[in-house]
Amino acid sequence: MYLLRAHTYLGDDPSACINCHIMTPYYATWSHSSHGRDATCNDCHVPHSSLAAKYGFKAMDGLKHTAYFVTHSERQAIMAEDMSAEVIMNNCIRCHTQLNQEFVKTGRIDFMMAKAGEGKACWDCHRNVPHGGMNSLSGTPNTEGVTPLPPSPVPEWLQRLMD
Amino acid sequence: MVVVFCLGLLVSSLMERRAEVVSVFNNKRTVFTDSIVAQNEKFKADYPREYNTWAMTEDTSFESMYNGSEAVDVLEQRPNMVILWAGYAFSRHYNTPRGHKHALDDMREILRTGSPGVNGQNDMQPATCWTCKGPDVPRMMREMGLANYYHARWSELGNEMMNTIGCSDCHDARTMELKPARPALYEAWERAGKDVNKATHQELRSLVCAQCHTEYYFVKGTDYLMFPQDKGMTCEDAEAYYDEIDFYDYIHPLSKTPILKAQHPGYEVALQGIHGQRGVSCADCHMPYMSEGGVKFTDHHIMSPLANIDRTCQTCHRQDAETLRQNVYDRQMKATEVRDRAEDELAKAHIEAKFAIDNGATEAEMKPIQDLLRKSQWRWDYAIASHGATFHAPQEVTRLLSHSVDYAQQARLLIAKVCAKHGYTGDIPLPDISTKAKAQQYIGLDMPTLETNKKEFLETVVPKWIEEAKANGKLIALN
Repeated sequence: MYLLRAHTYLGDDPSACINCHIMTPYYATWSHSSHGRDATCNDCHVPHSSLAAKYGFKAMDGLKHTAYFVTHSERQAIMAEDMSAEVIMNNCIRCHTQLNQEFVKTGRIDFMMAKAGEGKACWDCHRNVPHGGMNSLSGTPNTEGVTPLPPSPVPEWLQRLMD
Repeated sequence: MVVVFCLGLLVSSLMERRAEVVSVFNNKRTVFTDSIVAQNEKFKADYPREYNTWAMTEDTSFESMYNGSEAVDVLEQRPNMVILWAGYAFSRHYNTPRGHKHALDDMREILRTGSPGVNGQNDMQPATCWTCKGPDVPRMMREMGLANYYHARWSELGNEMMNTIGCSDCHDARTMELKPARPALYEAWERAGKDVNKATHQELRSLVCAQCHTEYYFVKGTDYLMFPQDKGMTCEDAEAYYDEIDFYDYIHPLSKTPILKAQHPGYEVALQGIHGQRGVSCADCHMPYMSEGGVKFTDHHIMSPLANIDRTCQTCHRQDAETLRQNVYDRQMKATEVRDRAEDELAKAHIEAKFAIDNGATEAEMKPIQDLLRKSQWRWDYAIASHGATFHAPQEVTRLLSHSVDYAQQARLLIAKVCAKHGYTGDIPLPDISTKAKAQQYIGLDMPTLETNKKEFLETVVPKWIEEAKANGKLIALN
């Protein structure tokens, strides 16, 4: 489990999200965005209402990702599912509270209300935040070099067997 | 122990997928010195992802609201087309297209190529018909010389055409750069003052398709393949080109109209649509990029983009897949509504024109009617012949089809006047053409004989072609 860097999934370090290579285009676009300076993946992609919500959501999402990964069923243009979109929009509002609740009213609704037609989701206008126009895994290819991949711990005989 | 080992395997598969990144060009096993390599199998070792996805064009399981990847008998669905193409081979047999891997089989099996060599029959088609059917074509053009190739008969090259549409049709085998292999494209561009060799990579990602998925004709006498693009890329531009050289594909046996048969102007129609006008190439949607194990490559399983909305539409559009699919269907349905009207009116017009001729209408009286029918049928055929047109350019297709309905109705009005002049004022009797068989019988096609001959052709002539090709090393036997 240590070799899989499983312990990193408990923390907030964005490099945990590229333990597998699927997320590297998203890591690369985030790291070059304005959010790349202070906000981590978890700041936006997991709930921060309580510790239980945070780890519960993380576990659920993580297991889903594992299932997609080992079955090679990842979508080529990854899109947030509704539950995830709700979390992300809440997190936009959480940090930008004054701006979008006092100065303008766009942050007084959540994603489900936006979906029901009672307003817009943040990214309906801020379309390039924070991953750029990049919408497909192939949109920013060859991003594996952003952080070095960990060395393979699989014994050679087993590797040969698998090839 | 076993559980631990299995867990280990799972863990290692997780680990190892991270390192799937490999370099293709550093490990090239087969180096080609010739730009045209006809046998597609020779590319497999170096380009496994491209080859394997290309090989999947054999799959026929995809279905959409309109068309899919299986051959469906269109004449059965729309018997009016038998009437529209009466006197031309298309009235015998017309299917929805299958994937590139089936191109040679489909061409041998279709009744439009006849059964040369069976029961003393000769060729009904020139070798030019092979032109889009695979990388053996540029090879033979080079070996025979272009004019000789076009002038040969179809069956003369039967034992040469062995490798279906593949690598060398679009790529220079030495560098794998995009390079359309059909001279007709280069010639048409040159006449229009453009140079294919100066096209950008993004343009080439459409032009490799446009070398075949385009309107063309065979020059009468030489069967030289030409694209009617000198005056421009629209339906009306091509019509003006044909009118100027008095070209027609066949004289319609019912209405005696000199008909222009449109051949899948897919590229031209796509240029009229918003995706084409924004610079989206054919490959962007029909051969979407794919990331597999961190390697980005072009999916060579060319098919409807609706089969992979997550890598086609959603690369740009953020709506969910079902919304996008419905957007496509809506556009297709609307254009198709008008298409059905056009086919109905046109079929009736041809039959009524025959009635007028049979009842004494003079050539001078028929001329304006035939002019209208030619215009009407050209627009209808141009709009429907390229299969994705109702999505590629819905407004353009609907515009053409509505003109087609209009011209056909104008023709029917004139026919009624002419008939009245010759003393007939009632409704013109219409035959029962509600099925393909009835329509084919009405136009006098002997389908059982055509089908029997074809069966014999496929059982005797084609196996001989394949045997000869194998003996000559033109075909790599896979089993």
